[in-house]
Amino acid sequence: MSLVEVKNLRKTYDNEGTMTPVLHGLNFKIEPGEFVAVMGPSGSGKSTLLQILGFLDSHSEGDYIFDGRAVAGYSKKEVAYIRNQKLGFIFQAFNLLPRTSVLQNVKLPLVYSDVPEREWETRARKAIEAVGLSHRLDHEPAQLSGGEKQRVAIARALVNEPSIIFADEPTGNLDSKSGRAVMEIIQKLNEEGHTVLLITHETSTAEYARRIIKIKDGLIESDVQVVNRRNASEHYSK
Amino acid sequence: MLIKHRIKTAYRGLVTNKSRSLLTILGIVIGITAIIIVMSIGQGAQDLILGQIEGLGATTISIDPGKQPQGPSNFAEVYTDSLKPKDIEALRRPANVQGLKDISPMVIQPASILFENETERATVVGSTEVFMDILALSPEQGSFFTDDDVKQKARVVILGTKVKENLFGLSDAVGKTIRIKEQSFRIIGVFPPSGASIFSVDEMVVAPYTTVQQYLTGTIHFNSIMVRAENEKVVNRVVHDIEATLRESHGITDPTNDDFHVSTPEDAAAIVGTITTVLTALLGSVAGISLVVGGIGIMNIMLVSVTERTREIGLRKALGATEEDILYQFLFESVMLTGLGGVIGIILGAGISYAAAVVLSSTVAEGWTFAFPISAAVLGLGVSAVIGLAFGIYPAKRAAAKSPMEALRYE
Repeated sequence: MSLVEVKNLRKTYDNEGTMTPVLHGLNFKIEPGEFVAVMGPSGSGKSTLLQILGFLDSHSEGDYIFDGRAVAGYSKKEVAYIRNQKLGFIFQAFNLLPRTSVLQNVKLPLVYSDVPEREWETRARKAIEAVGLSHRLDHEPAQLSGGEKQRVAIARALVNEPSIIFADEPTGNLDSKSGRAVMEIIQKLNEEGHTVLLITHETSTAEYARRIIKIKDGLIESDVQVVNRRNASEHYSK
Repeated sequence: MLIKHRIKTAYRGLVTNKSRSLLTILGIVIGITAIIIVMSIGQGAQDLILGQIEGLGATTISIDPGKQPQGPSNFAEVYTDSLKPKDIEALRRPANVQGLKDISPMVIQPASILFENETERATVVGSTEVFMDILALSPEQGSFFTDDDVKQKARVVILGTKVKENLFGLSDAVGKTIRIKEQSFRIIGVFPPSGASIFSVDEMVVAPYTTVQQYLTGTIHFNSIMVRAENEKVVNRVVHDIEATLRESHGITDPTNDDFHVSTPEDAAAIVGTITTVLTALLGSVAGISLVVGGIGIMNIMLVSVTERTREIGLRKALGATEEDILYQFLFESVMLTGLGGVIGIILGAGISYAAAVVLSSTVAEGWTFAFPISAAVLGLGVSAVIGLAFGIYPAKRAAAKSPMEALRYE
């Protein structure tokens, strides 16, 4: 069973009566364990697609089947539960809570989960260790570099052991070196079995994935497996 | 999400914005402080006055001319001349009133007091030894007049401390002669200062009532009659007997036509209680307005806070917060803010009232004690929590309704 399946997915924004069609009917599936990059120039509709797939927005027509169930039937509470338990988000702007320690930031999704409180500390520390920031537990976001902030965000996305991780331009606000470090972590997570959906407009970033879906003007232009896959760790060793 | 974590989340939100939180609650702090001070001082004043009334003893009954005042217009009736010497004689008869221990009339006459070149306006009070005994008054210099002085209409007076000071300064007054209405009176005593007592004689001159009637008023009626019952148990019967006797003596059949009224310290206490309660409620409601203003301030800041934290709200929703989670986070924030404001206000109000009690008791109102009504604390806390709820619900709803996508996009 596919983790994500969209059939003829359409999205039209209704801005005070002005209809703006963005997605014109998309069809694809994502299987568990895949690493998919969605590419496209700005305005192509890739961010809209991520918002729909990430339960942050609703689609207008067609079907979105997540984990075998059509999304249209979910209640608000179920949507919140799915976001919390099944999805992990990594944003371009990091979106960490200011004046709040790394540990507390990573714990945030646990607060909204049914994970017993006694497990929070262990889980959060484990996730922080996975991104190599154990020495920064008590730091606040303002004391971290951009790359470190994004790694905290990755730890936060991991902490509830989601079925799929959505990364929206995760390297967009980073210099190339920190960007590579972040992509290395994401790639490693995929190798460990996490499903990842990456949104980017850079080919170089997209090539870390196993598969690239190119979108243009709200339609799929191409959907291919990556042949010359970039490997972040290899890159370092060069 | 457990309520415990909702509270913790709200708490962290407040701590992260300490200075804003403290500024926000200022209005509530001031409002609650004002209410606590008004209630505490109101209670202190009530305790003081009631204490003095109770000091009269539960067996003291006073008879005043005119019917029981029901409003300002009735107060003129205290000038009626319905209480006469024959009433005293009638009341003294055991056949009429059983269980009566003492009875003493009182006459009041404002007058100018002259000593050499000094003049002083004062109230001349004519009474008896019994009357002064009831009020627990005794001269600090010289002595009081006797029953013989009353019978013989002796021209002797005792001065209140202010009258004495204004006429004689520091020099001795006892034995000197003053003039009132062209008549000479010999000073036989001076009262000690009575402070803030409601029975203050500081600005009075006390003489035998017969003397005052003979030389100053030229009338035979009384301004008041004070009666003491033998013990507390018979007070009600004595009151009843007095009313019956006076009605018969005045030829009154319908009690609504009474030209006198009889009251006990209990009645006086009830009136004082009513007055202070009304005053406290009045002042308290003025202070309450500042609470409403404070509440609007809280709402204002919470709305700003919701807009400012749009990103945070979006993030929390993206990470799995339900609308309810967000609603409670912001609602708890505002209730905790006002609750904290309430607690600070209660402590501040109690502190200021305590300081006021210390100052008052050592200056103008000897015997003033610090009173802190528990009801004030409960009211203060309750009101501030309700304000937090009432003015926090709208901003909290606005926060909960934000879409995670819009919220994350917000820069």
